[in-house]
Amino acid sequence: MRLTESDIDSALSVSLDSTIDTEPPFSAGPSNGHNGISTKSNGVSVPYTNGSSSKGVAHDGLDGHISTRNGSSSVARVSLPGRTLYDDSYVDREEFVRLVIQSLRDVGYMESATTLEAESGYIMETPEVAEFRRCILDASWDSAEAALVRLGVTEGEGLWEARFLIAKQKYLEYLEAGKTTAALHVLRNELAPLNPELDHLHALSSLMMCSDPADLRQQVGWDGASGSSRRRLLMDLQRYIPSSVMIPQRRFATLLEQARAYQQSRCLYHNVPLRNQSYSLYTDHICDRNAFPRVTTAVLSVHEDEVWNLEWSHSGRFLATASKDKTAIIWRVELDKDPRYRAYAPEFILRDHEYPVGCVSWSLDDSILLTASEHRITLWNSRTGLKVRSLEQHTDVVTALAWLPDGSGFISGGLDRKIILWDADGKLRDSWARTPIRVTDLQVTPDFTRLVAVGMYDMMPPPPDAAGAGAGVAGAGAGGAGAAGGRVAETRIIIYDLSTKQPELSIRLEGELTSVKVSQDSQYALINRASENGPPAEIHLIDLSNGRVVRKYVGHSQSKHVIRSCFGGVEENFILSGSEDGKVYIWHRETGVLLEELAGHGEGSVNSVAWNPANERMFASCSDDRTVRIWEAPPAEALSVFGAAPAERVDQERDGGHEMENGKLSGKGKGRWDAGPSGSGSGSTSTAGASGSGSGAVGGSSSSPDAESGYGLGSTTALF
Amino acid sequence: MGMSYRRYLSGARIYGCCKCRTHLATIHSMISRAFNGQHGRAYLFDGVVNVIEGEPNDRQMTTGNHTVRDIYCVKCGQTLGWKYDYAYEPSQKYKEGKYILERNLLVDVQ
Repeated sequence: MRLTESDIDSALSVSLDSTIDTEPPFSAGPSNGHNGISTKSNGVSVPYTNGSSSKGVAHDGLDGHISTRNGSSSVARVSLPGRTLYDDSYVDREEFVRLVIQSLRDVGYMESATTLEAESGYIMETPEVAEFRRCILDASWDSAEAALVRLGVTEGEGLWEARFLIAKQKYLEYLEAGKTTAALHVLRNELAPLNPELDHLHALSSLMMCSDPADLRQQVGWDGASGSSRRRLLMDLQRYIPSSVMIPQRRFATLLEQARAYQQSRCLYHNVPLRNQSYSLYTDHICDRNAFPRVTTAVLSVHEDEVWNLEWSHSGRFLATASKDKTAIIWRVELDKDPRYRAYAPEFILRDHEYPVGCVSWSLDDSILLTASEHRITLWNSRTGLKVRSLEQHTDVVTALAWLPDGSGFISGGLDRKIILWDADGKLRDSWARTPIRVTDLQVTPDFTRLVAVGMYDMMPPPPDAAGAGAGVAGAGAGGAGAAGGRVAETRIIIYDLSTKQPELSIRLEGELTSVKVSQDSQYALINRASENGPPAEIHLIDLSNGRVVRKYVGHSQSKHVIRSCFGGVEENFILSGSEDGKVYIWHRETGVLLEELAGHGEGSVNSVAWNPANERMFASCSDDRTVRIWEAPPAEALSVFGAAPAERVDQERDGGHEMENGKLSGKGKGRWDAGPSGSGSGSTSTAGASGSGSGAVGGSSSSPDAESGYGLGSTTALF
Repeated sequence: MGMSYRRYLSGARIYGCCKCRTHLATIHSMISRAFNGQHGRAYLFDGVVNVIEGEPNDRQMTTGNHTVRDIYCVKCGQTLGWKYDYAYEPSQKYKEGKYILERNLLVDVQ
């Protein structure tokens, strides 16, 4: 509803004419903190006019249109019923409009802001607030405190702290300007009387000794009078002032950010970086499942036996895999190429392992790859594929290799209860006290404060009366994994303080623990727990500060094998794990919702998974079926042409001879995984692979891990 | 199939593989010392760990016909003894599902 002319007059008088070019432009009178138009009677708005404008706008016409005079536009104030933005909304109209005005001013639409103030009758803030702000920004310290009181900050804790903050800024600015005497005066007469903590006061007084302003700024972590320090002070003071009086900075943007965060938390397949086109205020954010890596784009089959573990290089351009075939392979990944034409060449095959290879670990700069085979650790030059040295300190299986976050060395753990710290070049630096558990995996937190180890105790003899009850149990596992007498070994998570090497927390669990990964923020650990004779297999997300289980992920199967999991995706939104049913499992980290069960690998377990650190839409898995699979989002044309089943098509296209049928590779040409150049090396790749498995399905038992041929007998051989 | 770690036992006496000392059984799960194997004296155990079982075949023993599987060390592949799958003689049924380790192929480990 439009107001009558005299109302318009009074409303406009609030801000126009006199304020349109002032900065900040809210000199006008009433802080009528509400839509108070209805309370004003026609024609008696005198208290709100500022005199000069009344002449200009008064009686301009009866239709309420905007009049213009002296180059200034006048805006009719609009009176609306009620106090909310819409009839059925909870949003307070005044609050909303004031935030809009703030946003407009922030980006520089000064006139629009002023016009909106005029049209709505709401002002962003009162002159007192503006005055206060100006005092702080102009360093009018003496007036600042008085202005603060006028804003309604009452005596007591709040005012005390606010005064202290202001006096501190004043003190620092004097020091910065070299006015030592003035600074000393502030310290004695303003800061000290406020009775701050003695330490704090001492710290401040010691700044007197700073050699120059740069030194001062660095010591305080403060960017000086000409920097942003006054604006920061303003932000700090904000908390003592009612937010309805002085609106917190960028309040609208804060609310929009909260909406985005909420939408993101509901987006199960969320996998886009924050700075991305995929956010729009027009629609709720939701990530397309079709942009999620869930189809195989490559099958890497050069290993001649089960592939047990894998790790991406930090650059994401190489993948290291560890196999029962007593080799590790470094694969080169053409990350920049279109997935359809990308080749995965084995850059080096690292032989010279006497036993199966259980883990691989890249140094921080990717120049060294560590492998662990039984009790021996080997350092390899990842650029030449040559062995640098072997480390023989462990007396039993080395189960974990973890580089320190600064790259200065690495830590190994093993079933011999040893945790050993090594230099980057393999010199023994420190050996920890014998661990109570036989370590099956360990990781160092990225913040360099903790080491998280999991492992098992030795199996206790069964109680006498239970003898016989477990007969036959041991036969179950081909690897002899059955428990003697049916007893389950006790297992434990131990969280060590890295600096003292002392345990902070020790958590008892039932069921074998086979994998630890620590989140990028160093707050959480992801741990696989097998279900052998006990509760179902679970992956636990543990809060490292208190040892509590924050989330559990279930659905996969793990009873007797070493199965590993990992975090993945943007902001580590996903949890991935291998499984003994041959599938890859993916959960939404926050909610624990199982998102995908990806079939494709052949018979046996999927042993480990790893998300590419350089490509948030790619991960790899490795399996007993001797292959490594690369998973990516379905290519666009595959989606449009083949609809629901793009994976098969992609595989056929890529692999040539491969034929995908229910996750099994049919025999012909199976070792031939790539249509790359067929020199003598790659030719024998094909031969070796095919001879390894005969005509049966992948994972058949007829394989002979020793049937290596074609690569030559050196410790490593480059293939392409 | 799949990767698994070897088991470790604790107890008064632990028997390990003579070649690589991998833990196999404890005295607590021993049922009888009165057996004979190819290399002399052998022990019957209720349960053993860290062994791979071979294919089953029928074998005529002094106590009658049995279906047995040879068992090998999971680490070094050393043949260690056998497991009874099935006993044809009713009086020998108690051996089913149990393991023979030959004494001369074992060492004490601790």
